[in-house]
Amino acid sequence: MSRKATTRLVAALSVGLVLTACTGNTPEPAAGTGNQGGARVANDEPGEKVVIGFSAPAADHGWMAAITNAAKAEAEKYSDVELKVVEGTNDVNLQISQVETFINDKVDAIVLLPFDGAALTPVALKAMKAGITVINVDREFGSPFAARSTVLGDNYGMGVSAGTYVCDQLKGKSDAVVAEIAGIDSLPLTQDRSKGFADALGDCGLKVNNRVAAEFTVESGERAAANLLQAAPRIDALWNHDDDQGVGVTAAIKNSGRSEFFMVGGAGSANVMREIKAGNGLHKATVVYPSTQGADGIRLARLAVQGKSLGDLVEVEVPRQVELFAPVVTKDNVDRYLPTAFES
Amino acid sequence: MSENTTAVRPPTAEQPQRGVSALLGSAAGRNTGLVVALVLLCVVGVITAGDRFADVDNVLTILRLAAVIGVVSVGMTFVITGGGIDLSVGAIVALSSVWATTLATQAMANDAHWLVIVFAALAVGAGCGVINGVLIAYGRIVAFIATLAMLAAARGLAEIISNRKTQIVNVPGFTAFFDASVLGVPVLVVIFALVAVVGWVVLNRTTFGRRTFAVGGNPEAARLAGIDVRRHTVLLYTLLGVCCGIAAVMLVARTTTGSSTHGGLYELDAIAAVVIGGTLLSGGRGTIAGTVFGVLIFTTLSNVFTLNNLSISAQAVAKGAIIVVAVLLQQRLARRSGA
Amino acid sequence: MTTTTAPLLSVRGVVKRFPGVTALGGVDFDVRAGEVHCLLGQNGAGKSTLIKVLAGAHRPDEGEIRWQGEVVSFDNPTAAMSSGVAAIYQELDLVAGLSVADNVFLGHELSKAGFTRRAEAHRRTKALLDRLGHPDIPPDRDVGRLSAANQQIVSMARALSRDGRLLIMDEPSAVLDQDEVRTLFRVIRELTAQGVAIVYISHRMEEIREIGDRVTVLKDGRTVATGLPARETRTADLIRLMTGRDVEYAFPPRDPVDPAAPEVLVVRGLAAGERFSGVDFTVRAGEVVGLAGLVGSGRSEILEAVYGARRTTAGTVEVDGKRLRRGNVGAAVRAGVGLCPEERKSQGLLLDQAVYRNITVSTLSAFSRFGFLDNGAERARSQELTTALDVRPPGVDRAVRTLSGGNQQKVVLARWLLRECRVLLLDEPTRGVDVGARSEIYELIRDLSVRGVAVVVVSSEVEEVLGLADRVLVVREGRVVHEGPAREIDESRVLDLVMEGTAA
Repeated sequence: MSRKATTRLVAALSVGLVLTACTGNTPEPAAGTGNQGGARVANDEPGEKVVIGFSAPAADHGWMAAITNAAKAEAEKYSDVELKVVEGTNDVNLQISQVETFINDKVDAIVLLPFDGAALTPVALKAMKAGITVINVDREFGSPFAARSTVLGDNYGMGVSAGTYVCDQLKGKSDAVVAEIAGIDSLPLTQDRSKGFADALGDCGLKVNNRVAAEFTVESGERAAANLLQAAPRIDALWNHDDDQGVGVTAAIKNSGRSEFFMVGGAGSANVMREIKAGNGLHKATVVYPSTQGADGIRLARLAVQGKSLGDLVEVEVPRQVELFAPVVTKDNVDRYLPTAFES
Repeated sequence: MSENTTAVRPPTAEQPQRGVSALLGSAAGRNTGLVVALVLLCVVGVITAGDRFADVDNVLTILRLAAVIGVVSVGMTFVITGGGIDLSVGAIVALSSVWATTLATQAMANDAHWLVIVFAALAVGAGCGVINGVLIAYGRIVAFIATLAMLAAARGLAEIISNRKTQIVNVPGFTAFFDASVLGVPVLVVIFALVAVVGWVVLNRTTFGRRTFAVGGNPEAARLAGIDVRRHTVLLYTLLGVCCGIAAVMLVARTTTGSSTHGGLYELDAIAAVVIGGTLLSGGRGTIAGTVFGVLIFTTLSNVFTLNNLSISAQAVAKGAIIVVAVLLQQRLARRSGA
Repeated sequence: MTTTTAPLLSVRGVVKRFPGVTALGGVDFDVRAGEVHCLLGQNGAGKSTLIKVLAGAHRPDEGEIRWQGEVVSFDNPTAAMSSGVAAIYQELDLVAGLSVADNVFLGHELSKAGFTRRAEAHRRTKALLDRLGHPDIPPDRDVGRLSAANQQIVSMARALSRDGRLLIMDEPSAVLDQDEVRTLFRVIRELTAQGVAIVYISHRMEEIREIGDRVTVLKDGRTVATGLPARETRTADLIRLMTGRDVEYAFPPRDPVDPAAPEVLVVRGLAAGERFSGVDFTVRAGEVVGLAGLVGSGRSEILEAVYGARRTTAGTVEVDGKRLRRGNVGAAVRAGVGLCPEERKSQGLLLDQAVYRNITVSTLSAFSRFGFLDNGAERARSQELTTALDVRPPGVDRAVRTLSGGNQQKVVLARWLLRECRVLLLDEPTRGVDVGARSEIYELIRDLSVRGVAVVVVSSEVEEVLGLADRVLVVREGRVVHEGPAREIDESRVLDLVMEGTAA
């Protein structure tokens, strides 16, 4: 209970940190996907050299590809960070071996987005025992001793953000039809997102009228959306959990010629954000699941190794856990998020 | 091997095939080629990564990585030598790992002995192997199709049993045993070595092995020579299933988890290792030593790439190239011996 | 045939080497338009290599080939075919699953703007089949469903579709029964009358006499005689040229079977659905029983059924008084039955494996303790056997594939000698075996029977059945129509029995 509370606090603070960094900046980013987020503070003064190993699952999804790219770009910014990136794999046996190689190399820190948190726990423990600072990203280890710090997204919060936005838009329409296209249904993260969405809708007297699940891929998104449109002759609002599968969802909607509803995205791809900015599509908003978690992991690793703390915290050490906020991106604030969005 | 390691032999009249072609033509020469390939890879490793590669810890890292897929590959060598193929090994590893780590199994293991986990995995592996074998031998379903069905079914069953959740092992005796080392060599590597040695002896020194060659070389001739080809086929797939069970135990020990995602694409890794080792995909010729070298070549390659921060995609390209070169070489040798 | 026409094909000093072997060491011969030129030679004499050189599948290392007077070099079979040279191999290279017409025009499909001209292909195929005297083969039939004889006709049609001037036929009669051979000969005569030349390869002396014009004899990759008149040259001379020694093409003499010898094999009322039924016979220790019949008469099926390799619907098989389990080869082998199958390469041998492994494959348990094999003992025993049987070249570690047909057959026989079996079933024991090795195999069969083995022989060659067997069973349409001592029946009578009712 108390831990959860601290986490929330930390999350709010760290996001605040990101926000301050962005306010007042000129909105137009340079071409490409340079990661402009992140504060420039006294902590950025070069310190002792830090060697960081980075390992993540295979980049078979735009979000996952962005994780590694953002981490690499972040490391580039620091003259005192040397980043060793091994390529993503979905074979836990191989990922364990990659971490073992980092241990053999005696790196200072390892930033690890495990394919399977529990399966990578033993080798992370081994790394910690060897005196290496392990930063766990996105998928949690099975043991609290396996990582110095953990950076997590907020899946429940995503659902809450999406639901709250839908409530605001449909204010007063008590008979509104709300639809939801989820990701892989059996995953806990999908269940968390849906629960958050339902809870937030419940607060304003709405409910999810139609719900289907896809599999995070374009093709499955198209299939699920086509089914949903058949099942629901009228829709007022649609939340799609994932912008990668959203490409397929959008295609299905186009094919059906329907346009009576607005759509909220998920995860926050650059595509969808551009659509929101242009205002020419059904997407009115999307909820960010930050693809900069790996980049934050790099920063935390560097600070932890150098013995520094997070700049805006009174705390002397890097916190144990950072849970990231899931903000709603609309036309009003899209320029702040577009630079860190991932390309599907 | 011994034929090639002897000192320079004086040329004799009975030896018209001297030089490289004769060397490559012999079974021993085939392995020499693999040894050369592995040594070259190691040289590349030392040049690019220096002491980081040549370090004892790094060698153990390579061997640990090789151990799990190595055990599967040894079993796969038997099935391919016997004229079959098994696409379901990865799925069987997943199912065995899940079944061996359910709460019920773990409770039994904690009450009785941690070996319960091992036996559960082996039994599930063997069971899947028996089903594969019976479908192929008695149901007369093509091996490719039968094991493709098993691939889908076993992984699906693993997902149902585990509810797609990763199951963490909390049996202290089990993890302690497999975490240990024997004279500095990790237990997982010792198991791989044992499986390889036993596999070699069985394939080359027993009636079972000889029958495997016969069944793979010409099933009809083997049948008419009095070998029970169907029963033997079932035994081959069962043996591979047991190897998958062993691999599952090793993977459970290495990750302290059972999961329906374990063993992804192991079938391709295993088949690739077996083929570059020199075992004929059409059956009738197989070598355990070659398979072990094949596994070591692929894992060393993977390690050299990791040490140099090179991409897995480039590694996949290199892997593909190695397979093609190995098969081309194999065809040339086959043509020469057939002429 | 002393025409003065210039040779269509002329081969001079052709040499072909493979790593470690000289397959052809100097071959000379001429083929004239419109003649049937027979190539004779033992297995391993270089006939197959020569065919491949002529058909463009191999390139010669030395020597020259003249085609209609011009020096040519066929780089591949397509080049040879477009010049008019086509080979029809023993293992027919037709694609099952494709139609007759598709096969005939395979590789040079009739097409217009990328679309195949099916109707035209059918029409031309029909014309070719008519020319070959087989209007009965439908051009759209799947080749896999044709008989071996008709498949051969399709191969010939394919050769002719390219305006073939020279057809090379590798043992075409091996897969045919007598009737089909007669049809084949008729087709060959019609083709030669049209000026097509045929290079004809066969082991069967009587065929060469019947169809051949001239004979070239190969031995150890060299021409030892060429241009011999096919009808006038004496058989003994040809055999001497082929083997380099005098061989009596004769069956070993034999003593009558001891009537008190025990009945080792007893077959009662054996039946297998439509294939055969009501088969009864017994074989005593030391007796050789021959089964004569046409291909498809059920003779091979009976052998397989006795061996447990084919399901039976009725009847029993007993060995030494013990009834065998139905449809179980293992039980038959354990009871002491051995089979040398008809298709030696596909059914009998592990071609890519060592000689010794082929010999010990049915006797592994004798060489093993707790499942572990004694390799040394295996090799030693195999060596003894191959030496005794004069398997050449010697050496038990070489792959069986490298041996000639006769020596391969000896390896199969050695397998059952090693097993010391009580009953030996031989299906076409001398198919693809050259004349020299043939006599040795006859001797071997005789030796085995003298040692008390009960032998059953199936052969398409009536002469062989009568020469080897003590007793003869004639099989027609799945039934035994005659049984009696071999010495009381002659070849023509057997042929009558075999053909009766089928020669309509």
